[in-house]
Amino acid sequence: MNAATMTGQPVIALLGQPNSGKSTLFNGLTGARQRVGNWPGKTVEKKEGYYVRDGIRYRVTDLPGTYSLSANSEEEIITRDYIASGEADVVCILADASQLSRSLFMLADYTGIECPAILLLNLVDVAEAQGKRIDAARLEDKLGIPVIPFVAADRKRYGAFFEAVDRALKEKKRIDIDSLIAKYHAIGDGIYENLLALMPEAGIGNYSAPWLATKLIEGDTAILDTVKNTVEAEAYRDVETILSSIQNGALHTSGCKFQWIDELLSEALVQKQGKPLLSRFDRLATHRRWGKPLAVLIILLGLVASFIPATPIMVLGGMIPRLGGPIAEVLSSIGVSRILIDLINQVVLNTLYFAVAMIGFVLGVNLVFGFLEEVGYMARVSYIFDGTMARLGLQGKSVMPLVVSFGCTIGGAAGTRVIDSWGQRVLTIALAWVVPCAATWAIVPVISSLFFGAWAPLVIVAIFLVAGLHMLITARIFGSKLIRQEDRAGLIMELPPYHKPRWKALLRSILVRTWDILARALRVIFLVSFVFWLLTYSTSGNPDASLLYRFGRAIEPVTIVFGLTWQTFLAYFASMVSKEAALGVLGSLYLGAGSLFTATVGSGGKVAVGLESVLLASLTAPAALAFIFAVTFNAPCLMAITSTYQETRSLKWTLRILGYYVSTSLILAFLVYRIANLFM
Amino acid sequence: MITLDKVGTGRKVVVSEIEGDQRFLSRITSIGLTIGCELEVLHNENKFPLLFYGRDTVVALNREESKNVFVEVVE
Ligand SMILES: Nc1nc2c(ncn2[C@@H]2O[C@H](COP(=O)(O)OP(=O)(O)OP(=O)(O)O)[C@@H](O)[C@H]2O)c(=O)[nH]1
Repeated sequence: MNAATMTGQPVIALLGQPNSGKSTLFNGLTGARQRVGNWPGKTVEKKEGYYVRDGIRYRVTDLPGTYSLSANSEEEIITRDYIASGEADVVCILADASQLSRSLFMLADYTGIECPAILLLNLVDVAEAQGKRIDAARLEDKLGIPVIPFVAADRKRYGAFFEAVDRALKEKKRIDIDSLIAKYHAIGDGIYENLLALMPEAGIGNYSAPWLATKLIEGDTAILDTVKNTVEAEAYRDVETILSSIQNGALHTSGCKFQWIDELLSEALVQKQGKPLLSRFDRLATHRRWGKPLAVLIILLGLVASFIPATPIMVLGGMIPRLGGPIAEVLSSIGVSRILIDLINQVVLNTLYFAVAMIGFVLGVNLVFGFLEEVGYMARVSYIFDGTMARLGLQGKSVMPLVVSFGCTIGGAAGTRVIDSWGQRVLTIALAWVVPCAATWAIVPVISSLFFGAWAPLVIVAIFLVAGLHMLITARIFGSKLIRQEDRAGLIMELPPYHKPRWKALLRSILVRTWDILARALRVIFLVSFVFWLLTYSTSGNPDASLLYRFGRAIEPVTIVFGLTWQTFLAYFASMVSKEAALGVLGSLYLGAGSLFTATVGSGGKVAVGLESVLLASLTAPAALAFIFAVTFNAPCLMAITSTYQETRSLKWTLRILGYYVSTSLILAFLVYRIANLFM
Repeated sequence: MITLDKVGTGRKVVVSEIEGDQRFLSRITSIGLTIGCELEVLHNENKFPLLFYGRDTVVALNREESKNVFVEVVE
């Protein structure tokens, strides 16, 4: 019995190769009615949601984007297991109509699975702009399942989708497999026929016998195990004998699949021979000499452009703390205790401010780079930087997150989504933490010019040199654990055709994603802020009555080893919450006034009046340098930590990265302090 | 028969053999590269991945991997 009959809620699974538009459709269908989690026991994101039509609730599961239904990656295994589980009532297969021949591979690979399906020819708008015409009725006729020309980015066209889903639920049609089987029969000397004869006639679960036989030829070990556990020992021995005579089976079966696709399309696809394969812009974008400078220029402009949508949000967020006065008045007039008012004022308002200000920038970065991705340019950047990234054990797709991290590490972490191997994704995030983000430049120049005057630019050069070295070493350390031999695969990537952006769909996706980051981060930020507030709470209003102050003083003998006074150590500590905080905290500690808490999460980044002379009097130049390095190479900020968890889907690795950065930044401070002491 | 990384920019080729483990074969065929399929090489520059067009798609393939793809030049 399947899910629909049990709960009355049909389940639709979205299946498609990366870039086929699954996320766009998922967001378009479910909007805010979605839940993101992990697939049980895996580090892969699971997205579920629902939509309601005619009083019926349709549950939607977004399967991980994969290229096929083999079992070579965690994503593929999850996808396959899910389909085998019979949880879905309809599988909705998305194909990219603008690259239809290649994109139908998923459909061919799915054929033979006993679950009703529909085929969405997504991105027909792009296909039509290329001068392609697709005869969906003809395809439907040949495949035997509903086939719909579709634009996932346009919700006005969803009517046909809803109708097709209902039709599939009612008619429960499978893809017509006979013409594909006929192709498989041509493999070897009756190899396919013989294997097929050994399979259980009714298949195994949702896998039909013809599908199982194909996967066996492909050398799929997981399916081989399934078959071993189902068929008689004797039959299994025969299976093994047949398989031993095949080499490179996947080549043969894929050949058959594409022949089948070509035949399907020969009558259904009309294509005007049009534009050159590489446009003039593409020639420049992929040029061996000009490609890189062009990419750097566009990305830099992108970072600057991120501030345009970010600024109004940041300004708006900046107004939140001002509500504090009025709220406090109202609350105290109704007799709320002082400490509670303090709590609301400081923790709630300030963390809200902090989160909104940060999210403004995250939104800006996501919007600009989402746009570059959407029009197709990002794939070109990946191509042009592939060789450079290979030196770090990464592939071209990692370049974008690393560059975005110059603006904001959170945006960088979110950008790793396009990387298809989990290990490379985590490694990219781990390296993105090294890249000094925009907030670094609110602190480093101030302190270095204070202590080193005209020599300050040298400090910045040193930071870049150390950052480069740091990356090389970090890539080694993390790479050896994260990138297994089989993950070492180099770049295999399709470059999507350029197309006009679909603003509405783009905005919708970005808003959903940003909201997701904000919602998760807020919880953690509130919690951490609350603890921090308790630690910094002081009855007298001055820092020296707080727990943190006492803690700081107590551990000074230890921190001084790293060249950090207890004040700079606490500022370093606070910079893990927000980098901008470092200066504010220094201010309230050295000047002994103002709330430590507000200095950390409140409007940070300002230099308190009089701080400069106090700093000059209390810190030596080597200690200042140690502090600069400690803060620069510390964990970027709290929200970067939560979004690292969100993207890696692994608490273990998030904590590892965090621990690594705390220790390496202290080691760096130690080294810088000792070396500087020799010269200064 | 030569390997794909030796094919000059602008040439058209037909794939005659692909080598590699099951994982590689499955990945490379799923992006449209199979025996008998026709490709046009768009860029072949030292130190950059190969860029070619085949089956409706522009594909970038790492140089190392493209040594596993054997082709006949047709044009
Ligand atoms: N013009 C147009 N663009 C679309 C359509 N559907 C999706 N897109 C765009 O195509 C790109 C890929 O869509 P996604 O929804 O991210 O694709 P996906 O299958 O989820 O890809 P992964 O997230 O990599 O798994 C995005 O830039 C979309 O905005 C469409 O029907 N028409």
